[in-house]
Amino acid sequence: MPCAMSNPAELSDDNELVIDINKLTKTYQTGAGDISVLRDVNLHVHRGEMVAVMGPSGSGKSTLLFILGLFQPASTGEYRVSGVDVLSLTRDRQAIFRREMLGFVFQTCDLLENSTVYENLELPLIYAGVRRKERPDRIREALRMVNLDHRVYQPSNRLSGGERQRVSIARALVNDPEFILADEPTGQLDRENSLRVLEYFTKITEEARMAMVVVTHDNMTAEYCTRKCVLTDGCLNG
Amino acid sequence: MAIGKRKKITLAELDRIRRRGGGLMRYYDLVRVSVREVVRKRRRYIGVMASIALGMAGFIVIITMGNDLKKNFNNDLDLLGGATIINAMFEQPPLERQEWFRERTLQAIGRIPGVLDTTVVALKANTVTTWHDRLFGFNLVGCEANYWKVFSFNAAAGRLFDEKDLEEGARVCVVGTDLARQIFGSDQKALGQILSLDDNLYTVIGVLGGLRAGDRGAFVFLPLSTARARVVGISMPYSAYVRCATWDDVAPVAGAISGVIRANQPDRGLRVNVAWEPLKQVQRIFWWVELFIYSSIVATMILGGFGIWNIMMATVTSRTREIGLKKAMGALDTDILYQFLFEALCVTLSSSVIGVILGRIGIEYMGRMLGANPPEGLFIFCLLLGLAFAAVLGVGAGLYPSIRASRMQVVDAMRYE
Repeated sequence: MPCAMSNPAELSDDNELVIDINKLTKTYQTGAGDISVLRDVNLHVHRGEMVAVMGPSGSGKSTLLFILGLFQPASTGEYRVSGVDVLSLTRDRQAIFRREMLGFVFQTCDLLENSTVYENLELPLIYAGVRRKERPDRIREALRMVNLDHRVYQPSNRLSGGERQRVSIARALVNDPEFILADEPTGQLDRENSLRVLEYFTKITEEARMAMVVVTHDNMTAEYCTRKCVLTDGCLNG
Repeated sequence: MAIGKRKKITLAELDRIRRRGGGLMRYYDLVRVSVREVVRKRRRYIGVMASIALGMAGFIVIITMGNDLKKNFNNDLDLLGGATIINAMFEQPPLERQEWFRERTLQAIGRIPGVLDTTVVALKANTVTTWHDRLFGFNLVGCEANYWKVFSFNAAAGRLFDEKDLEEGARVCVVGTDLARQIFGSDQKALGQILSLDDNLYTVIGVLGGLRAGDRGAFVFLPLSTARARVVGISMPYSAYVRCATWDDVAPVAGAISGVIRANQPDRGLRVNVAWEPLKQVQRIFWWVELFIYSSIVATMILGGFGIWNIMMATVTSRTREIGLKKAMGALDTDILYQFLFEALCVTLSSSVIGVILGRIGIEYMGRMLGANPPEGLFIFCLLLGLAFAAVLGVGAGLYPSIRASRMQVVDAMRYE
């Protein structure tokens, strides 16, 4: 049975549709039969929107995020970003798409160990072929968005948990993506740091008019989002 | 730049970005990132780097010093019968014209590549002398100062005559050790004694010593100029000895001698004698030694290669999440491939540079020890060969792990714990 469509509650003038998912399914084939993780999921995210995807463990939240990030293919359905059918892209095009259009924030921060904040932020710019002289300005600007521009040359392993997550956000921003995917971004942070991270997310969506999809268990995180969707048994509602 | 700037992404734009690539700067940056990674995780690579560096140092020292080592072995292995000494002689049939070596012939032989030294001798067999009313028989040899060098003789007591004695036609002699003991009782007692030969008196200045001196125990040696001037019935210098630099030179020199002699003088009755059997023995021994050394070097390098392969595989596994993260940031498969390949290359090339430095130190040390001065060109050739080999080793050992890393699925890498 098809799930209900997830649509924005209210749209502004600058409300270009960024993420457009229609009837997306994901089925895993196992020895015990097929397991349907996502069933006819529809999701439309506009510029400036921050959408929370909630749901119990095993509901398919991470799978949805990985499909949105082009980490894994969907079984059927349509996924368009700014009008481009991204599921049909080749492997190389998908990689280029990821670096040009997407930013990721993970629960575990996943900074490169034994590297400075600068080196962590420089890597996406290297992959994007950004000129070396342009990099310091872009890195500083991204760090300024999360109030960490004074920590540019700090080794990443000397940062606190909150700071690491903010560096992770800055890294997602440094290539100026169209939308950001965040997987439990406050999952390992205390309340104070969680609030700061969420405030930065709000700032990014409002000031930079980016679209954002946040997968979370946390109600407080969901409250900060402009819209909340719940994924239950592979169906997205909200 | 401004974060929040709108981008319009199309398929054409994606292809344009892919074609643009990023040029040399992108590769430079990837090399920089790889080098940084290796430097920061250097402890992981120390063992394998030491193995490659030692193999490289051994390779450079053996190849560069090989010829000098052979020369040194050549001297030390004289006990095997003077394997590198060639004897060229004219047969002396009675009642026929007898040939002997002319000066220009000897000079021409000395110019044959691989010839270290030449010398000629004149002989008078069955010579006698009296000492305290006792009669002693011996063979008389007139020779040059080079004779000692060709046969690696030294003085068991006193000294051997030299160029100055030859120039002055000095009336001095060197006696074989058996004869010295028979006539005078001991080597030391022989020194300074006066020996009467064909009504001429000669001062004994030394007793012959050296590994092969026993073969000439009943000989008396006079400077060639003195012998030719004073000894009645001594032959012309019809026998020449040629010492080759290494045993590898013996066959080509032996083959060239006849032609050189023929080009300079009549070669009637010429015979060229080579001690082929001892030569083969020496070559066989050294072949095994070389085989052992090269096998050790190759084994060390292969172990280094396997070490790199093993470490790179372990590195790829331990950095699976990092690979996933980089792919999530937009790294292409080739970016990941090049990064790990550059890391493997960085390890092998830096090990090689350490090996080259160690090799250079080894060459300097051995050069001083052997009194040798190996050609710089050979060292540079070895250096380039070593670096090329290290590059091949790095690519060879790092390729499979790098391909594995580059082909990793993002989702598998991101979910790897």
